[in-house]
Amino acid sequence: MPLLATRQLTKRFGGLAAVNQVDLTVEPGAIVGLIGPNGAGKTTCFNLLSGFLRPTTGSITFDGEDITGWRPHRITARGLVRTFQHTTLFHDMTALENVLLGLHLSSRLGIGTVLLSRRVYPPDEVARAREVLELTGLGAHADQPARSLPHGHQRVLGIAMALAARPRLLLLDEPVTGMNLDESGRVMSLVKEIRDRGTTILLVEHNMKAVMGTCEHIVVLNFGQKLAEGTPAEVSTSRDVIQAYLGAGIAHA
Amino acid sequence: MPSKTPGQAPGKAIIAIVIAVLVLLALLVPPLGGDYYVHLLALVFTNVILAASLRPSLTCGQLNIGHSGFMSIGAYTSALLAKHFGLPFELSLLSGAIVAALVGVVIGYPALRLRGVYFAMVTVAFVEVIRLIAQIWVPLTRGMSGLSGVPKPNLLGITLTTKASQYYLALGLMLLILAILYKLERSRLGLIWRSIGMADPLAQSLGVNIAAHKLLAFMIGCFFAGVAGAFYAHFIRFLFPPEFGFLMATNILVYNYVGGRGHFVGAIVGAMFLSLLSEPFRGSAYETIFFSIAMLLTILFLPGGLITLPGKLAGLRSWRAASAPSPSPAG
Ligand SMILES: Nc1ncnc2c1ncn2[C@@H]1O[C@H](COP(=O)(O)OP(=O)(O)OP(=O)(O)O)[C@@H](O)[C@H]1O
Ligand SMILES: [Mg+2]
Repeated sequence: MPLLATRQLTKRFGGLAAVNQVDLTVEPGAIVGLIGPNGAGKTTCFNLLSGFLRPTTGSITFDGEDITGWRPHRITARGLVRTFQHTTLFHDMTALENVLLGLHLSSRLGIGTVLLSRRVYPPDEVARAREVLELTGLGAHADQPARSLPHGHQRVLGIAMALAARPRLLLLDEPVTGMNLDESGRVMSLVKEIRDRGTTILLVEHNMKAVMGTCEHIVVLNFGQKLAEGTPAEVSTSRDVIQAYLGAGIAHA
Repeated sequence: MPSKTPGQAPGKAIIAIVIAVLVLLALLVPPLGGDYYVHLLALVFTNVILAASLRPSLTCGQLNIGHSGFMSIGAYTSALLAKHFGLPFELSLLSGAIVAALVGVVIGYPALRLRGVYFAMVTVAFVEVIRLIAQIWVPLTRGMSGLSGVPKPNLLGITLTTKASQYYLALGLMLLILAILYKLERSRLGLIWRSIGMADPLAQSLGVNIAAHKLLAFMIGCFFAGVAGAFYAHFIRFLFPPEFGFLMATNILVYNYVGGRGHFVGAIVGAMFLSLLSEPFRGSAYETIFFSIAMLLTILFLPGGLITLPGKLAGLRSWRAASAPSPSPAG
């Protein structure tokens, strides 16, 4: 059974079908890439999957359960967690506090624990947060305010926070944007490491080297529609795909 | 923006001593100060409750410019129940607070889905609607003639006849409510509020039900505004609809901005400072001007509010010290 499956997923903004009748399947344990030119509908797709937008039509099934129209916090609670294309952090807090919040906010709380907890950060959570920071390579920056971290570290911190929410499926929206070769290489091996620890990955990325080197399966979107899908080799030699990217390239020039 | 004030944080013991001294001073006001100060300070305490009870919503990033509407509901509910049904003060106060909180839910449920300025506009409309209802519903509220003859507060059946005893009641209520609100803000709940205020999509993506939490925070604030209103009603014993209008609502907001929103004490400092300083202008046209100027000066010179002043002064001093030997600081 696939972990995630959409059927005829569609989102219209006025006349524009940003996502148009997309069938998307993600098998458990996979790293799937979602690519396409600018404006193809990738982020909109993520917004639909994570509940930030309601689909116009179509359905989303996660782990056998129909989650169409659920609100984001419920979807997160089921283990589907997303990151943002534009770096989104609690900027005034330290890296450690950011991850702690990721842990906190996602843990189920009763009235009692909310009101009566004396210590805002219990030691086991601090330990777990430090673990996540170590895993993501931010261990040395734990006590630095998020806003003062370099861009690359900020992007990784976004992933660390999502990890703290214990995802079974992690949606990464352009995790290596604006990173140099070295940094993006490290992030892509982190992505593999996360998968090896049991989290399935759906990844949006423009950096083709990163996508082709990491994903086992790739879905290509163009103008909201699924244009092609297959292994990296299949997709990168597909006529339609090359056409779409070239077309977009010419339009941009 | 919530940020830590620069400079060294004072130790817990020092804070405890400061609080103890302040409370002791407050306890000494009735025997040592005159009736004027007793009356004035009891009203200041009400303002402190109002300012602090705006914080849960503010922390969630919600601009509520209608808080005095909930104060009004608490005041009228408690006054009418006590006057017409002889309800003891404890119960009428609680009823006032509960009705204010319920109205908060009714208003908040649809309004909190609106973002930023749209939510603020709803709260402005709300406070004016409440004022109009109080003005127009003459059989119930006596409208612009004002509701008089509100019974004095009583506790466990004993009527608090002296201003001094009512002052202690206000002090007690304020300390209790501040303790509750502070505890909430420092709990996980407060952390959730902060996360919503800082970046609500992120909070949502990490599992926070932001609609529910915004509503809860709003409701808690309305409840305590209702308490403040109920105390006010039985203390002043005369309710006049325009008292709870838009002006009062903006004042509550200004207390928070001038005091500083980055820390809980900001609301207290702001409410104390401004309501004492604005006392000479109370009820006159100068009151508005005073609050506008205070707000303007804060935005221009102390965006973090009065609570950041010590840190700024310390920074200034060390800058002076550092730049004294070399007249042209590197830049
Ligand atoms: N909230 C919205 N309202 C109206 N139109 C929108 C909205 N969000 C996205 N769109 C439009 O939908 C289309 C798809 O946008 P989307 O952000 O999903 O693209 P994308 O594939 O993520 O692009 P990029 O690679 O640049 O991030 C674009 O034409 C965009 O302008
Ligand atoms: Mg995008």
